[in-house]
Amino acid sequence: MSYLTLSKITKQFGDTVVVDDFTLEIAKGEFVSFLGPSGCGKTTTLRMVAGFEIPTSGKIILDGADITDKAPNQRNVGMIFQSYALFPNMTVAQNIGFGLNVRKEAKETIKQRVDEMIALINLEKHANKYPYQLSGGQQQRVSLARALAIHPQVLLLDEPLSALDAKIRVSLRSEIRAIQKKLGITAIFVTHDQEEALSISDRIVVMNAGLMEQVGTPFEIYNFPQTQFVANFVGSLNTAKAEVSDPATGLLNVDGIQFITATDIKSRKKGDAIRVSIRPERFSFADNQKKDNVLDCTVENITFLGSVVRIQVKIGEAKFNMDTFNNPFLELPKIGSKEQVTCSKEAVLVLDE
Amino acid sequence: MNLMSRIRRIPFWSWVWFLLGALYFLLPLYATLNFSLRMERDVIGFKAYIRAFEDPDFLKTFLYSNMLALLTIIASIILIVPTAYWIRLRLPEARRIVEFITLLPFVVPAIILVFGLIRIYSSPVNIPFTEIRILQPLTTFEVGTDILIIAGYVVLGLPYMYRSVDTGMRTVDVRTLTEAAQSLGASWFTIIVRIILPNIRAALLSGALLTFAIVVGEVTLASFLGVPAFGPYLFLLGQHRAYEPAALSFASFLLTWLAMGLLQLVSGEQGQAAGAH
Repeated sequence: MSYLTLSKITKQFGDTVVVDDFTLEIAKGEFVSFLGPSGCGKTTTLRMVAGFEIPTSGKIILDGADITDKAPNQRNVGMIFQSYALFPNMTVAQNIGFGLNVRKEAKETIKQRVDEMIALINLEKHANKYPYQLSGGQQQRVSLARALAIHPQVLLLDEPLSALDAKIRVSLRSEIRAIQKKLGITAIFVTHDQEEALSISDRIVVMNAGLMEQVGTPFEIYNFPQTQFVANFVGSLNTAKAEVSDPATGLLNVDGIQFITATDIKSRKKGDAIRVSIRPERFSFADNQKKDNVLDCTVENITFLGSVVRIQVKIGEAKFNMDTFNNPFLELPKIGSKEQVTCSKEAVLVLDE
Repeated sequence: MNLMSRIRRIPFWSWVWFLLGALYFLLPLYATLNFSLRMERDVIGFKAYIRAFEDPDFLKTFLYSNMLALLTIIASIILIVPTAYWIRLRLPEARRIVEFITLLPFVVPAIILVFGLIRIYSSPVNIPFTEIRILQPLTTFEVGTDILIIAGYVVLGLPYMYRSVDTGMRTVDVRTLTEAAQSLGASWFTIIVRIILPNIRAALLSGALLTFAIVVGEVTLASFLGVPAFGPYLFLLGQHRAYEPAALSFASFLLTWLAMGLLQLVSGEQGQAAGAH
């Protein structure tokens, strides 16, 4: 059953439509990410759930109650900001207790809850410090504790990791996920970082230009992108212009080279111009395995990326990247040598533009 | 680099101009101090100071002006903090207009302000846009006059108070802090009192000290509205006595310096906190 429902949400600023006909059902305890480039409407959608923006049309239902027009301070929603937004005049403990203090809870209740929250984020030693005495990662943890202290019905995270450096970002994101699972709280996480969204979410909503492109588990989003935009935005991707040779069997022609795809292209006609998309890791050098596509190529370039080696090959006139895992015994081809690469027909995607 | 070698690096002509400037400022001050100490012939002493401070009117007018200053500061904070806050939050396009209005006291002299106030409030008036009539003109009773003069002082202090508050708000992320507090359930009143005010403390203090300095020495409004304030008292004293005004001027100089020192101290602390941040 849906716990939080966004139904046909549209938001306009003047003549600009920022969010267009957004419908989503989120189950209790689910962790959903809104993923997209800046200006795609993901933050605006989050702010409508928080109550900082009111939808032009549509409804927001939280646990059976219509909260569409409720003021932010009347909703029971925890919010975390990119800039931490801790109150500079208050200590860590006072920050965390602020929400309960405003609710006029008993002193002992507040103290107990604050201690509980400080233990949750492992900042026992810093309870009486002021925000400026903490590191960015610590500040964001305090802000998480402050949002959770009020027992919110939904936790909203607006790019909470973007201001942190790479190492902290990775450790804090697993910490956030662990805490969210432990408390079973429903969460919406806004990010423009696909790796972040893939690693942390139960489901991802990919957005572009105010529209929902695709909703699905990280696995679905990565492996079965439904649109060109999703395929491009999530993970890296090779794309090339192609022509339909035989719609019935899935035969394509990329610059004179034959490819076969598992995507259903029966609705297209012979000679239609299309694009093929292939993830770099779906290619491998041809060995004895039987694959659908076995292609002659020339090695153009080799880039070492740590755990992965990226090899650029030229198939016909089109250039493709191919990723292969690094290991110390890897035998890499010489640049300029002729090789054969292979990929399955499921790897060759034909996507809607 | 130590202090001496740093001083030696300053070119000769810089020193000359610096000393000339310092003399221009310090000589009259020294003259005032010297004069104020010579009330008794051939004796250097504090007689003028004692006489000035002993005058019962001195204390009365000084305390009265302090009270006016305090009430002016409270009234300006109540008026200006929510205004500046709302402009930052919701009406950034109104900033130019409001900044222009706050600068008007520099352009329109106090004498015009006071004549305007007297003209309007010395006869029974309607409260603007209503039929409600103030039965007694504000200028005819003490509390009414106090209200008028405080309102006038709020206007005179507007440029300083508004700028201080606005600058103070620029240093904190008002919008995000507001949203954070709202999502935690805080009302507008709670946000202003518990989040905004404490975070612009230093700015408020500097605005308040400037307002204080203006109000305590102000002559025009006070004398035309006929209130027993410190400004007109000093003015009168200056016309009738020789040594006491000099003594009081010097004393007020010391007071101003003290206030400025306090300001430096407070804003310095704030700066350090911001730096660590």
